[in-house]
Amino acid sequence: MFPFQLIPSLKLLPEGAAFLTISSTLIVADIHLGKSAAFRAKGLPVPEGDSARDLGRLFDLAEKSKASQLVIAGDLFHCSSGITPELEAALADFMNRLGIPVILVAGNHDAKIPALPAELRSVPHLDMADNFRVVHDPGHANGGCLHISGHWHPVVKIPDGKRTSLRLPCFLFRDNTLVLPAFGSFTGGAVVDVKPRDRVFVALREQVVELPPVLIDQNSPSYGSGSAGRRSSTDT
Amino acid sequence: MSNASIRPFFAAKGWQPFSFQEATWEAYFKGKSGLLHAPTGQGKTLAVYLGPLAENPNPAAGCQVLWLTPLRALAADTLRALREPLAALAPGGEAEARTGDTPAALRARLRKKLPHTLVTTPESLSLMLTHEDFSEKLSNLRCVIVDEWHELLGTKRGVQTELCLARLRTWFPAIRVWGLSATLGNLTEARRSLLGNAFEKSVEITADLNKAIIIDTLIPKEIERFPWSGHIGTRLASQVADEIEKANATLLFTNTRSQTEIWFQELLAIRPRWKDKLAMHHGSLDRAEREHAENGLRGGTLKCVVATSSLDLGVDFSPVDQVIQIGSPKGIARLLQRAGRSGHQPGSVSRIVGVPTHAFELVEFAAARDAALVRHVESRIPLEKPLDLLVQHLITCAIGCPFEAEAMRREVQSTHAFSGLTDIEWEWALGFISNGGSALAAYPHYQKARLENGCYTVDDKRLITRHRLSIGTISSDPAVSVRFANGHKLGTVEESFISRLKPGSLLVFAGRQLMLVRFRECIATVKPAPRKGRGHIAIWGGNKMPLSSELSHAVARRLQGEGAPSAEMAAVEPILAIQRKWSRLPDDECLLIEHAHSREGEHLFLYPFAGRLVHEGLAALLAFRISRASGESIHTTQNDYGFSLTSKRGLVLSENHLRDYLTSENLLDDLVACMNTAELARRQFREIARVSGLVMQTPPGQKDRSQRELQVSATLLYEVLDRYDPENLLLAQSRREIMEKQLELTRLTAVIHRLQSMTMHLVETENLTPMAFPLWADRLSATLPAGDATTRLEAMLSTLNQAAAQA
Repeated sequence: MFPFQLIPSLKLLPEGAAFLTISSTLIVADIHLGKSAAFRAKGLPVPEGDSARDLGRLFDLAEKSKASQLVIAGDLFHCSSGITPELEAALADFMNRLGIPVILVAGNHDAKIPALPAELRSVPHLDMADNFRVVHDPGHANGGCLHISGHWHPVVKIPDGKRTSLRLPCFLFRDNTLVLPAFGSFTGGAVVDVKPRDRVFVALREQVVELPPVLIDQNSPSYGSGSAGRRSSTDT
Repeated sequence: MSNASIRPFFAAKGWQPFSFQEATWEAYFKGKSGLLHAPTGQGKTLAVYLGPLAENPNPAAGCQVLWLTPLRALAADTLRALREPLAALAPGGEAEARTGDTPAALRARLRKKLPHTLVTTPESLSLMLTHEDFSEKLSNLRCVIVDEWHELLGTKRGVQTELCLARLRTWFPAIRVWGLSATLGNLTEARRSLLGNAFEKSVEITADLNKAIIIDTLIPKEIERFPWSGHIGTRLASQVADEIEKANATLLFTNTRSQTEIWFQELLAIRPRWKDKLAMHHGSLDRAEREHAENGLRGGTLKCVVATSSLDLGVDFSPVDQVIQIGSPKGIARLLQRAGRSGHQPGSVSRIVGVPTHAFELVEFAAARDAALVRHVESRIPLEKPLDLLVQHLITCAIGCPFEAEAMRREVQSTHAFSGLTDIEWEWALGFISNGGSALAAYPHYQKARLENGCYTVDDKRLITRHRLSIGTISSDPAVSVRFANGHKLGTVEESFISRLKPGSLLVFAGRQLMLVRFRECIATVKPAPRKGRGHIAIWGGNKMPLSSELSHAVARRLQGEGAPSAEMAAVEPILAIQRKWSRLPDDECLLIEHAHSREGEHLFLYPFAGRLVHEGLAALLAFRISRASGESIHTTQNDYGFSLTSKRGLVLSENHLRDYLTSENLLDDLVACMNTAELARRQFREIARVSGLVMQTPPGQKDRSQRELQVSATLLYEVLDRYDPENLLLAQSRREIMEKQLELTRLTAVIHRLQSMTMHLVETENLTPMAFPLWADRLSATLPAGDATTRLEAMLSTLNQAAAQA
């Protein structure tokens, strides 16, 4: 069953990434590097570790998938106060070791950063072979091609037992847009209001599986797509 | 100084001082601190307040008395009670209140100059500690009075009070601290907790006035048709209405906010003409709604107020001549406290009428009366070392005036709560506020407090502002404001409740039948229900309070036939007779275990009489251990008397087996495994993260977009800390707190040790007995599934697949 193929040339990886087979492109979204540093800069004692861990996971995933390019579907960084010299050095080292092109489709958080590291190529959106387009905000999807996006940090709520539920980061496929789960480990999630024709996929051990609609909580509060990224919450 | 200076005040009123008042003044004049234990409405205000007044009648000498109250709603009443003697003994002296409700103009005035007597709350006192000139303004302080200390004891607010008092004692070693407390099982410990290292020379004074209390119970007319379980209990509503009719003004207490809404509607349906004479009061109502009820009671314009514990405290409602308690009193102190809301004047009688919601509560009321008459009441156990609060307090102090570490450590350790603070904990706390708190984990670029000339100080203006906004320990769930389209606010409900409703749905809230118009961004707009119909009663989460140990024992003794004959026991006798015939009556000297079969499989019922939280833990523990051996899944339910296990098969009734399962070996590990404590601790971390300043508190109604980047959920923080700084002491605190809160771990451990040596009575029953039935019928109990998310999801998917395969 691994890796899950939504359509022939697109795979969903259990690490929370998408892989385009024709161009060997690895796509992840919402890493939010430097988030804990931003907290510390404001006097909130959150320990360092997330950025290094996420870059390490990303490196391993790129190696494992044998990607020939890496696309970040927005929000690589959290905010400018989180971009410390240490982080810049770690990122430069990461790209050096990786040795494949890295393209950032700028997200709303990236857009607020005055100067992105020079070695990063940043674009507003990216057209790929086989009629795919990478954007950050699913709201910016238009046209007939298949969009791959992030921004929402989608989480699905699954009722489990009496008055308890599971919250799992998920891939959400709606209309012609795939929304990736947030890749960063210090990012929250927003429970998605699953609509009748949506398809929801979650990682289960080494696989990605599609959730049968019957498992999904239909009573979860409706936040509307516009505010989906705003509610801070987490997976279980 | 002597009592002679006070007597004229009494003489002018034609009063005679009580001996406890004389004793308090005398101790005060000798420079002593202490705890005064007296029922409400017995002149305890005069006992503690007149000493400092008489000692220095000069009204212009700055702030001389600080009066701490646990509830800001009490501040206005307290001021009224203080101003009269103040005017008589220190003419020209002023008394003002500084609480969260104080208008900005008055607050600004108090910032410049403090009055003779300042009434405030622990939170506001903490806040004032952040003002650098506060100690100067208090230079004439002679006495701090802590009202209703029993309410603060055992809570983080109580510890916050201890820390504030330690600060004041450091500044002014001669100040006297007096606590006022209702009856407690551990008064000495309460005094030690209040006074810390100033305990030695202090005194305890008891106003042994033997306040007369009458505890009656409404007896159901047909006990055979009275339910064996349930908690709503409106079956007796018309009898209750008759009682309300007879009295002048009634306070009707319920155990939950939802029950308040239900009873309000029920009484209105029975007596529509009471429409304007009936009000309600609970913690989720808007302040204006609550004030309407309070003023109506005080002014005598209301016939009855339906309330929760939000009206348990202080406020003097003289017109109230009857208190009704719906459902289990849960504890003896609680029953006494509620009874004391009537007959508030010295010498008058307090009367409370118990209304059972199911048959066994008749026994509870009889038992509560037995214990109340001999004043055998519960203890409140003080908290130890809540480190989240310590780091908050250290920042508070550092903002006010820079402190030197060793001196501050001595000050903190002078409190009862932190007397056992270890080197590791202290070093960690200092680290947390300055460089992150761990030698192993990295906190680069973090700084809150700086070391300057050997002293810790905080001077970043934004940090200071943010800290001031977040002082305190009360964290509430995100609340949805309920209001009419014209902006009239009714109160708040939980998001989980309102989000289940659709526009057009009917709901019952704040005593009104409403229709939801829309729900957007934490505001639910409603209008009066245009049509008749059953609306959804607003419900709130939160644990049901367990029956106290003391009341459980009293119930067990009643079931053993002890105690004077009573109407309650006579009424419930037919049901007890069935229990005796089919099984036997349980008690707390031996453990009764019943085994029965039904369509669902096998059931075991155990009755340790230890309160529902302990039973929840015991049930989970036994289910975990039995299913580990049998492989069968086991469903559990619990109430205050016992718990049940249900399984398709494999629940054998053998004393040896059961004793094995009830062993105290590996108790903690098994509990951690079966209660999914990791998940629970993550939830508990919300409060700790908030108190310790790990998450930011946005002031209500203000959305600061610049702070959006710093929003994070406490559960996520818990994971990050757990991953990169697992030694962080706040994580351990979170695990400890949840075990105590969710399972009453201390009590559970004691119970399981007691069970080891108890005789067991094993009974095979044909039918579900009256004791077993409520446990069997309780299918609403929430269970927390064990296992991590992956395991749970896999189980669900495989169940679905099996179902699909069979179809």
